[in-house]
Amino acid sequence: MKKNALIFGYNEYARQIASQIASEYERVHIFILDETLRHQAESDGFRVSIFDLSDEWSEIEQEYHIENTVAFCTLEDDAHNIFLTISLRAEFSHMYIVALAKDTEGINKLKIAGANRILPIVQITANLISEILEKPVVTNVLHNILYEDSDIKISQITVAEGDSVVGRNSHALSLKEMYNLILLAIVDGKLDTNFVFTAKGFNHTISVGDVLVVIGLQEDIDRFNQEIKRSRG
Amino acid sequence: MKPFARFMVKSAYVLNGSASYKAVKKFFYNLMENNSYRYKKYFDIVMVVLILSSVIILIREVKYESHDFLQFFNDYVISIIFLIEYLLRMWVYNDNSKIIIDRYEHDEFLQREFNPFKALKAIAYVKFQYMSSPSAIIDLFAIMPFFHELRLLRLFILFRVFKLFRYTNSIRHLLSVLTHKKHELLTLLMFAAIVVFVSGVLIYVMEANHPNSQINTLFEAFYWSLVTISTVGFGDLVPKTEGGQVVAMFIIISGIAVLSFSTSIIVSAFTERMDDIVENKLIENISALKTFYLICGYTKTAQQVAAKLRRHGKNIVVLDRDVERVKLATSHRLKAVIGDPGALASYAKLGIDFKEQVRAVLCLEYDDVSNVYAALTLRSMDKEVMLLSLLIHQHNRKKLLLAGVNEVIYAQELVGMVAKEFSGMPVAFEAIHALRSEQSDVLTEEIVIDEYICSQYHDVGDLDTEYYRIILMGISPVNGGAFLFNPDAHERLHNGDILLIIGSNVLIKEFKRDLHVKKRYR
Repeated sequence: MKKNALIFGYNEYARQIASQIASEYERVHIFILDETLRHQAESDGFRVSIFDLSDEWSEIEQEYHIENTVAFCTLEDDAHNIFLTISLRAEFSHMYIVALAKDTEGINKLKIAGANRILPIVQITANLISEILEKPVVTNVLHNILYEDSDIKISQITVAEGDSVVGRNSHALSLKEMYNLILLAIVDGKLDTNFVFTAKGFNHTISVGDVLVVIGLQEDIDRFNQEIKRSRG
Repeated sequence: MKPFARFMVKSAYVLNGSASYKAVKKFFYNLMENNSYRYKKYFDIVMVVLILSSVIILIREVKYESHDFLQFFNDYVISIIFLIEYLLRMWVYNDNSKIIIDRYEHDEFLQREFNPFKALKAIAYVKFQYMSSPSAIIDLFAIMPFFHELRLLRLFILFRVFKLFRYTNSIRHLLSVLTHKKHELLTLLMFAAIVVFVSGVLIYVMEANHPNSQINTLFEAFYWSLVTISTVGFGDLVPKTEGGQVVAMFIIISGIAVLSFSTSIIVSAFTERMDDIVENKLIENISALKTFYLICGYTKTAQQVAAKLRRHGKNIVVLDRDVERVKLATSHRLKAVIGDPGALASYAKLGIDFKEQVRAVLCLEYDDVSNVYAALTLRSMDKEVMLLSLLIHQHNRKKLLLAGVNEVIYAQELVGMVAKEFSGMPVAFEAIHALRSEQSDVLTEEIVIDEYICSQYHDVGDLDTEYYRIILMGISPVNGGAFLFNPDAHERLHNGDILLIIGSNVLIKEFKRDLHVKKRYR
């Protein structure tokens, strides 16, 4: 997991991102184009620096271990944001870059500019709206699992050397019966490809490095985790 | 009060209070007058068929001996049907009991004696208003049977043909276009009439006494000038004298002028009214929709939402005050109307039934003021309809909620939550994201347990989800209780429960089909 988050820009999107991710990273650092928003960002409790698009990035390179750093490009203007993304990519080939896209046009441009992940604002909003209308129960449940403090959590468990599940068939794990968990998807650690949904009828022999995505009550997830560890020890 | 007056007032109150009487009257009103009523078109088709059959019967009679049955059908059956229709139209035109009650209560209030004849006079006046309308006159003449003994009466067939106007929208549109240019057309007609009259008289004066002349009577003179001014020019009558030919030149030039003017008037009337006609047609189409989502403000978010909902086969109506955005929506094959989402008049124009037709209203402007205003307008019209609105500035959230919005969507917060989730658990997030975006073959689905399913499948074990490789994530209970996660096989199913399942698209379809068709015994 990455340790540092650099957020470029401090509009309302950046502000929401900063406050939401603060607990996930060791350090959150805000970079702003001018002084106007410095006060607000500082009063929100973040470290703030000024940058400009023609800047040298050596300061970042000295301070942060780039492979452990995520950059969030959230500048107001799409053109500036794309320029920022491409500047960061040119300087740091291993940095994980997340960029906001205001509209569909921006998505492709940001991809070409080298963003690892793009947050298309319009699409995210539109998807949520159509889900609320068409599948209210699904939306409510998934939304609660993902974002709210519901009892049911989603969790990813990476299989390590010596775990009891290694070498067992995913279907034979009986997660439902023994732990009251749902095994939603598996990422094959060897192939390093995308995850596969268990609902596809996928039968997989679990090996070291696989990631299991499970849904269930926090205590059940913890129990499952502990049992794996116990056998590990 | 005299017995007659008392009887009249009493019956008026009885009728006014009778739900069944009103329902019947409403039914006939819808059937004959309400264009958005689903069954009106069938009534119209039946009437058009009757009219056409009576025209065919008349045409057949010209050369062949009339058939007794056809004669009877034409003279009596069709006429009686038309008579009934005429009377029904007169009945639904207004509410007589209301006139009587109003007059009675008015008199009571002023402590005067109720005069039944005054009430009858008022009723007669209203009914006369109906009877003197052009379409009612046509209807009346169309009732007349045309007995074949009286050849002239056959002209009444014309009224039956005119009656077609009532039942075909396109002819009504054409007439409304022409009435729009009534003044211009009337002026032109007057001009043409004067030219025909003057040249008719002139040609008669020039030609009538000439030995070789073909135009010998005043009737022939007017006939010739009408044929010439219309640029038809049969050539059966031709002027022989020099004076007659001069008149001919004059009338030919006038004819070209009349023809070109009338063409240009009609064409310009159409171009001017085309937008109205298209909009009327659109509004008619919207009224005919069973259910739809109403989008106020065709912003970029709205475009994506509309595209997604359309993929699910849902109807969408767009209301936007910006002409360009309405054009864009139309080009995206949506039903889009120009109108201010914050004005009651826009919804009145659309004539939509919020309770029956509208699944939800989406206020998707990028401006909180517009969204709050539209939400308030909609809430003032309907208390129940689901309202969903975008929120642009966090501090306006409360205002939207006060305006009665059920779901507030704040994009900034949403993006923040998404950022958090994939920072913490990228794989889990990707999995859920893929499920929700419906881009992979696996998706989530809601299945409502209905009475039939409930009778066939008693508990979760009966559903046999494993056979379909479906994950039953949980049950949202009908009684509104908490979401039941990962239920075990003994959990009972209730009518109205909602199952939340995850599975591949094809297998979900199969599962749903089998649920509704049969219980699998193995």
